[in-house]
Amino acid sequence: MMKSLNRLRGAIWPRFHRNHDEHLNPYYTFQDYRQTWGMTIFILMMTALVPLVVMTLIYYQLIETSINTESLLRTERLASNARRAVTFFLEERLAALTFTVNEMGYDRLTNPGRLSEVLRNLKLGFGGLTDLSVIADTGTQVTYAGPFNLEGKDYSNQPWFMECHQHNACVSEIFSGYRGVPHIVVAVKSMRPDGRFFVLRATLETERLIQTLSSYKTGEHADIFLVNRDGLLQTPSQFYEGEFHHMNIPVPAYSDRTRAVMSTDRSGQPILIGYAFIDTKIAPTSFILMVVKQKAGMMKVWLDLRSNINWFFGFSALIIVVVITLTSTVMVNKIFQADRQKAETMVAAERNCQLASIGQLAAGVAHEINNPLALINETAGYVKDLFTIKQQYKEDPDLLEHIDSIIDAVARCGTITRQLLGFARHFDVQTQPINLKDMVADVINFHKKEAEYRNIKIHVDIPETIPLIETDRGKLQQIILNLVNNAFQAIDNGCFLDVRAEMDGPEQVRLFIRDNGCGISEEHLNKVFEPFFTTKKEGQGTGLGLSITYGLVQKLHGNITVQSKTGQGTTFVVTLPVQIKKETQS
Amino acid sequence: MKHFDILIVDDEQRYADMLARRLGLRSLTCKVCYDGQTAIAIVGEESFSVVILDLRLPDLYGTEVLTRIKQRRPETAVIILTGHGTEKDREQCMAHGAHSFMNKPLDIDRLVAMMARIKERTS
Repeated sequence: MMKSLNRLRGAIWPRFHRNHDEHLNPYYTFQDYRQTWGMTIFILMMTALVPLVVMTLIYYQLIETSINTESLLRTERLASNARRAVTFFLEERLAALTFTVNEMGYDRLTNPGRLSEVLRNLKLGFGGLTDLSVIADTGTQVTYAGPFNLEGKDYSNQPWFMECHQHNACVSEIFSGYRGVPHIVVAVKSMRPDGRFFVLRATLETERLIQTLSSYKTGEHADIFLVNRDGLLQTPSQFYEGEFHHMNIPVPAYSDRTRAVMSTDRSGQPILIGYAFIDTKIAPTSFILMVVKQKAGMMKVWLDLRSNINWFFGFSALIIVVVITLTSTVMVNKIFQADRQKAETMVAAERNCQLASIGQLAAGVAHEINNPLALINETAGYVKDLFTIKQQYKEDPDLLEHIDSIIDAVARCGTITRQLLGFARHFDVQTQPINLKDMVADVINFHKKEAEYRNIKIHVDIPETIPLIETDRGKLQQIILNLVNNAFQAIDNGCFLDVRAEMDGPEQVRLFIRDNGCGISEEHLNKVFEPFFTTKKEGQGTGLGLSITYGLVQKLHGNITVQSKTGQGTTFVVTLPVQIKKETQS
Repeated sequence: MKHFDILIVDDEQRYADMLARRLGLRSLTCKVCYDGQTAIAIVGEESFSVVILDLRLPDLYGTEVLTRIKQRRPETAVIILTGHGTEKDREQCMAHGAHSFMNKPLDIDRLVAMMARIKERTS
């Protein structure tokens, strides 16, 4: 249970989020694992989600464009068909009146019996007519046939009468007139034999027109109706009837063709408007046919599908985000833990190497001190011999000389002890001005005896022009010591070791440590700084010396390279800044 | 009684001289030399009962000097006297025919006792 909880905690709040071990930082591959983690998640998410989002948006755009185009086309076709029906309805009746007025003439039409007969025949032939009347040029109704008794009424001021007089025929708007019932007046003008004109007028029932329009209505989200040019509703509208029977959408601009446009209604809802200005061949009208469709209703199927796609998309994106986050977290954490293990090993190895260096130093010191001690021993022994074996010591002129010899040997031991203390102090971590020449001389001094015995020539060339280097004494000493040790192990008796330095620009110093030993083969050359890489037999080398040296050089903000040829020797080049920047010092 | 001669070979001159003096005080006559080549040359010319030999010499390594002395004078007892002899050095020297292996600083009485035994054996 606890294990599972810990694993869950590790996945959500991984180890690298709480990395406080700053002493390991120089050995990590990445400076900031949280940043690496964030970048990994960001890049993976962008790679996975951006194409998905773009493709979905393009798909939506294409579908919507296609649906809009199709809807506009269908709306326009519907408006066009309805327009044809309304126009035909009006033209048919105007044509019937025109025929009647020309066929019958004024005299026959003013006969009430004849007019009633004509009305009956017209009702039979066309239907939708309520009454018929003949109106003289004065505007007075002369003869009337129909259910209302409107004889003698004066129509001279009625707009339709004036328009008929002007255009020979007219179609009125829908109005209630004297009878108080909505109707349309169609009228045709003709001439009497005496040269005066008269008008044959018929009243049309609006129900027939409304029925005709309703038959074109498609679906619950569509509305079809007639308005006049001021936007006043002429037939009932299901959705767009506003105050004073005006439709609550703007009146479209005039066009002689049927048109369909996208728009929004007063409440901001998107709608499709198909419209046509209705004109007959015989007389113009003030009717505008309106077909209005609610886009939301029409797009419902698509919107439902889109909602499903959105849910699917959201769910997929969520899974992608979760998978990427978890995978990245686990991977970065694995890298971090591997790096951390490596860093801990490196730190431990560095510590071991320091101890080994001190051990080596101690051994060297012991060796160096042993000789003067042996001399002290023999000299003191001799003085004692003088006391015990030879009784005449008081007269011995050599006594003082031997005591001097003891003092001299003790002084030699003192010098070596001082050097030991000097070296031990160099492990403190702090920057200080260092004379490279002196330091190299110090390090070489520890190898002097070995070089003498092995007949190794050591040549040091560090010019006086090299300035004091502001760096960590202990670390620099260890770097030089490690490289010199390394060279001593690589060379046979009678070879040489060459240590020289030069300036690399005003900011950097380059130190060359060259030997003519066995060299490093090309296949091993790029591995020499890797930890635990060694060509020595098992148990004889840790393979850490050069990797620790590499780490130390990096700590001093320098860099180390190696050039080598098998059988010809090896040169290590250490480049160090003359001054370590204080703020970046670890 | 056969003459008992000692050769001391050590690069630390004052040490070699001092050891010779101390042995002289104990009635043991010593010759002194400071490097391997000279030692081999001296041994070639005259015979010594004992050679006290340091391992680290400026020209030749002690074991080589030891081998050459034993080739030339197998009867000479070679005592290795070194400042920092390892177990490996000891084994190597004993294999090459050294009589014994001693570390500096030296216990003179032990050395004298050892030489007394050698003298006893050879006389």
